[in-house]
Amino acid sequence: MHATAQQPKVLILASEACAYPGANAVGQAHQAYSDHAYILRAPSPALFPPQFYLDCLDQGFAGIIIMSCGVECPYEGAYQVLAQRVDQAYQLMKTRGLDLRRLRLTAICTVCNRAFLNEVNQMTRLADEIGPARDAETAQAA
Amino acid sequence: MSQDRPNNHPEPKVGVYVCHCGGNISDQVDVEQVARQAAGLPGVTAARHYSFMCSDPGQQMILEDLTSGRVDRVVVASCAPALHETTFREVLRRAGLNPYLYEHANIREQVSWVHHGPGATAKATALVAAATAKARELAPLMPIRVAATRHATVIGGGVAGLTAALDLAARGVEVALVETTPFLGGNLALLDRTFPTNEAAADLLTGLARRVLAQERISLYTCARLTGFSGYVGDFHLSLSQAPPRDDETLERLARFGEPGPECQPFRGVLPVAPPNAERRIELNTGAVVLATGFRHYQPPEGEYGYRQSSRVLTLPEFIALMAAIPAGQPLAFEGSPVASLALVHCVGSRQIPGIHEPPPGRELNQHCSRVCCTASLQAAGEARERFPETTIYELYRDIRSYGRGHEDYYLKASRSGVVFARFNPEDPPRVEADDSGDNPLKVTVKDTILAGEELELGVDLVVLAVGMEPGPVAELTQLMKLPQGADGFLQEVHPKLRPVELASGGLFLAGTCQAPMDVGEAASAAAAAAVKAAGLVTRGQVELEPFVATVDLARCDGCGDCVAACLREGALTLIETAAGQKARVEPALCLGCGVCVAACPAEAIQVAGWSLPQFRAMVQAIAQSGAEQGGQA
Amino acid sequence: MNHAPENHYDALVVGGGIAGLQAALDLAEQGFRVAVVEEDASVGGKMIRLSKVFPTLDCASCITTPKMAAAAHHPRISLLTYSRLAGLERAGGGFAARIERKARFVDEDQCIGCRQCEYACPVLLPDADQGGFAARKAIYIPFGNAIPQVALREEENCTFCGKCEKVCPTGAVDLLQQPQEISLTAEAVVLATGFRLMTDYPNRAYGPAARQPNLITSLQMERLLAPHGPYMRVLRPSDGKEPDSVAFIQCAGSRDLNLGVPYCSRVCCMYAIKQAMLLSGALPLADLTVYYLDIRAFGKNYEQFFQNAKAMGVEFVKAKPVVVGSTAEGAVRLRYEDQEGGGGGQEREHDLVVMSLAVLPAAELDPTGLGVGLGADGFLGSVSPKLAPPLTDQEGVFAAGTALGPKDIVDTIVEAGAAASQAAAYLAARRAAGRAAA
Ligand SMILES: Cc1cc2nc3c(=O)[nH]c(=O)nc-3n(C[C@H](O)[C@H](O)[C@H](O)COP(=O)(O)OP(=O)(O)OC[C@H]3O[C@@H](n4cnc5c(N)ncnc54)[C@H](O)[C@@H]3O)c2cc1C
Ligand SMILES: Cc1cc2nc3c(=O)[nH]c(=O)nc-3n(C[C@H](O)[C@H](O)[C@H](O)COP(=O)(O)OP(=O)(O)OC[C@H]3O[C@@H](n4cnc5c(N)ncnc54)[C@H](O)[C@@H]3O)c2cc1C
Ligand code: SF4
Repeated sequence: MHATAQQPKVLILASEACAYPGANAVGQAHQAYSDHAYILRAPSPALFPPQFYLDCLDQGFAGIIIMSCGVECPYEGAYQVLAQRVDQAYQLMKTRGLDLRRLRLTAICTVCNRAFLNEVNQMTRLADEIGPARDAETAQAA
Repeated sequence: MSQDRPNNHPEPKVGVYVCHCGGNISDQVDVEQVARQAAGLPGVTAARHYSFMCSDPGQQMILEDLTSGRVDRVVVASCAPALHETTFREVLRRAGLNPYLYEHANIREQVSWVHHGPGATAKATALVAAATAKARELAPLMPIRVAATRHATVIGGGVAGLTAALDLAARGVEVALVETTPFLGGNLALLDRTFPTNEAAADLLTGLARRVLAQERISLYTCARLTGFSGYVGDFHLSLSQAPPRDDETLERLARFGEPGPECQPFRGVLPVAPPNAERRIELNTGAVVLATGFRHYQPPEGEYGYRQSSRVLTLPEFIALMAAIPAGQPLAFEGSPVASLALVHCVGSRQIPGIHEPPPGRELNQHCSRVCCTASLQAAGEARERFPETTIYELYRDIRSYGRGHEDYYLKASRSGVVFARFNPEDPPRVEADDSGDNPLKVTVKDTILAGEELELGVDLVVLAVGMEPGPVAELTQLMKLPQGADGFLQEVHPKLRPVELASGGLFLAGTCQAPMDVGEAASAAAAAAVKAAGLVTRGQVELEPFVATVDLARCDGCGDCVAACLREGALTLIETAAGQKARVEPALCLGCGVCVAACPAEAIQVAGWSLPQFRAMVQAIAQSGAEQGGQA
Repeated sequence: MNHAPENHYDALVVGGGIAGLQAALDLAEQGFRVAVVEEDASVGGKMIRLSKVFPTLDCASCITTPKMAAAAHHPRISLLTYSRLAGLERAGGGFAARIERKARFVDEDQCIGCRQCEYACPVLLPDADQGGFAARKAIYIPFGNAIPQVALREEENCTFCGKCEKVCPTGAVDLLQQPQEISLTAEAVVLATGFRLMTDYPNRAYGPAARQPNLITSLQMERLLAPHGPYMRVLRPSDGKEPDSVAFIQCAGSRDLNLGVPYCSRVCCMYAIKQAMLLSGALPLADLTVYYLDIRAFGKNYEQFFQNAKAMGVEFVKAKPVVVGSTAEGAVRLRYEDQEGGGGGQEREHDLVVMSLAVLPAAELDPTGLGVGLGADGFLGSVSPKLAPPLTDQEGVFAAGTALGPKDIVDTIVEAGAAASQAAAYLAARRAAGRAAA
């Protein structure tokens, strides 16, 4: 399969108010991280249904980091909902036998450079180690 | 707003523009290759690269493609969107297109500045593919415009409410000023001279009331309370009910007034207009509401520092009134007997600590500091020493918080005039007891921490309690208007730093001590700040809101109501009956755009405009497949 | 962003700290056109240089940058940074202002903020925006989220090597750029010139004992604590060691008649508590001591914040210590009288000592030259402290924020809104009068 031809990719879903500008701050500081980490911004990651994360894994992403604003979320109450949704996603992952480490919920602020790098480095390392979810699954099914 | 699905449109024509950023991008990313790859993507009808896309020639390049009809939506790959997203949206607008047919790819902060070598080009290529995939799914969006009534309502007629009403009127806004009592002036009317200027409270209020009564744009509703509330920013509907005053205290106070007018009677307030003599209902259409419902003095429960057990234990406002009633040159006396000494106790009903203090039955602890009582106490003590030099004054405090401009002078003055200070720990509060044996009616025992915990026994004739501030009686209002309150019971602003006078719901503002303890100047400033925000909303005739709100695909919606249950904002989502059955309906003016409902919908019938799940899926797929299609690593 | 000013505005705001920005935004939202003159190379004032802010502990940058960006992108606001008001006169019922735009030696419209010049520059200088603990170049962009993201060159230390000019991809560097004087007119003026700290306090209070690297100012501590600070963690300046004990000296210059500052600086109790809380996170094992006279946690949720700090183990000692020297290991030695410990002098050493310096009026308080009245404390005076604090004794001139006396961010932002409200009413009344006359 084509995904094996490359290094496994990591998807980062970053909140528009905090984590996305935080990732840009890392850029301004020229602090390098793996080029297999891709960042998409969203008003609040609470908009993704739990199944969305599994679909991303099925598409070939090895890991997903949800970077929210945490309790500083501009939408009051959304963070709590997000945490529940991520829990539901974990349930779904469990039933599918997926490694739960592939999905991580974090809070990153606009100048949390170190925290950002930590999270990305950990996840990309994990991705390198365990590869894309799709392959793991195929192997299991076979 | 437009609900057009992109699929109904002719095949979109995407223009992709890759910026070199003068080497900032092109030194790490092979921009030529990124553009070449983009040209091969489905839907792309132009793919170019240029040294500075944000420059005039760069923008011109996009403009020409748009006006010639070659492209009808745009992707620019350059720096972080915060820097130039608006710049490029503006280009679409200039070309006569909808500015939201634009998607940004961040290949500087998130590519060239953090990655090197071929990986950088591969990632930039993937991000451009993702942006292009989303661009194909974009639909034009219209900003949400809500007509705004050029009218605002101010609830509460204390110094904050009066100031807010005047400032709104000065901006040309019609104002309804609603006050529950027959009087204006609120708690300020109960003071004598105000720190830090020593101006008479009555003079300040007379001045304000004169201006309010002279201002044609202000309609005054006294003896009125809010009974109904609906609508949203720009267009609220308020029901008021006015009723003749009935409680004895108010009637007694009213009896002391002659003709209504702006003159403030010391310790009573302003009776601006005659109270209504029959019940009346009033309906108002208003664009914004300023809450200025003020505070209540803490009422110590019986027994706290001897309160109500001895008539000689007064609150600070009572003591201020007592002093004011004594003619100049006369000594301080209480109930006919001279006051040789008194003790003032700070932080009564404030700064209570769980585990040390017990809340009175049915009440919460007041953990907050009431901010004004220190300076008010110092002012009272200093004034008492000056006017009644034969009276000894003890001031028992925890910290002296004379923080404000001119406040420290009262501390200096009180110290210099011989006020005796003792500092106590909250664990060891002063004890007030009747003293039958001594020369004075009351005995106060206090452990002064400054003297290494030495216990002092003070015989006094009076004890004055510096009672703190508690939120005013707003239970009814908070219920009707769904107002958020903090743990301290005061009304809660949306963000204490960024938006200190705004509530989370658009069009609602906070002024004065309903939000937190403040002095008069601070309450007036908060009122002015609230007024300028409210005026900014309603004077434009319409409120323009961002189009990124939830939208319902009626064909898919089966009216299950899961989205309504998930929604974080009261009133933003409702279920309505339509010819096709029950459907969800979004009130765009109330929707936060957070998308919590999106994930809740089992039919995927609700999406946030500009951030839809199909758009996200298209991006995810584009990134997942990028590189693979090129046969591995670029 | 609009770098090229027009020549007429409704209001001129002097000072682009949080007070000036908020006043400008509120005025612009009323439909008025506003110019903001800021002496510094970026807007944002002190707030953008703080770490996290009490009592919410949200990061200062995260809540300042949105306001800075909102002002920068606002169609009715022009930001004139690195500019000073050189003169103001009353003219035609309004004001005529002369503004000096200092030479950046970089063309603002061409600079794209890429920092190539900064990387190429061989000169290293202490970076004041990082408390002097880190280095910057002679040509540089002030800091990561500065607005505008435009480089400037400092003339004194430049060696004229010309490297910056060569690497700049847009040819924006102009080593011969001259300061520019521009004139504009405005109908109202808002003074938001902020404050400065009493930086000569250590010398005045401690004499030679003040000269030691581990005795730092509160603003320096803000930088040490900032997530994007000079060391990215809290280290002691002298030797880069993690301090085991940190102390704060409160009222360093404030409430001190001998130093001519009888007033309370109003923010230091809270920021010292905040810094102590942040330190207890960064250095969980360190001993933290606050030497204070009174703890003035008077604002909304401030008392609760203070009680939390106590519960977390921050030690509060009622005393006003004097710095008397240092130990061989670099610790700062303090002498004090514990007011609650039964009196008697005591000595104690701390690895790092922070002075909560007095808040003083800005160097040039009345840049208008109109003779705006001052209060007894030296800050701008208000003619209506009870009902309209922003009103000065000069018609058409308003003031806001710490220019009117020390205050925290919330009170500053609220007061800036009040200044905008009063200025807007003034402008509207003038227009109405103008229409009536016509
Ligand atoms: C002991 C003491 C001494 C003080 N001394 C000073 C001083 O010397 N200098 C100084 O600057 N400050 C002083 N203050 C503070 C000062 O009293 C307040 O800052 C000021 O009164 C606050 O005004 P306000 O308008 O916010 O609230 P209030 O004065 O409380 O006014 C609120 C108004 O709203 C009305 N209201 C309440 N609920 C409703 C409702 N649901 N519908 C309609 N109307 C409603 C009330 O009837 C009232 O008229 C002192 C405070 C205390 C406790
Ligand atoms: C160490 C420290 C920590 C703090 N921490 C907190 C905290 O956690 N929370 C909190 O609420 N508050 C905190 N504060 C207080 C906070 O910094 C101030 O409330 C706030 O910065 C005041 O903003 P300002 O706009 O009034 O003044 P400033 O930030 O001083 O801005 C004034 C601006 O005007 C410019 N200027 C001055 N004169 C001129 C002139 N003549 N021409 C042109 N421009 C001029 C200056 O360059 C400056 O940019 C702290 C203060 C200090 C010292
Ligand atoms: S202002 Fe003073 S008396 Fe009032 S609660 Fe605060 S510390 Fe206590």
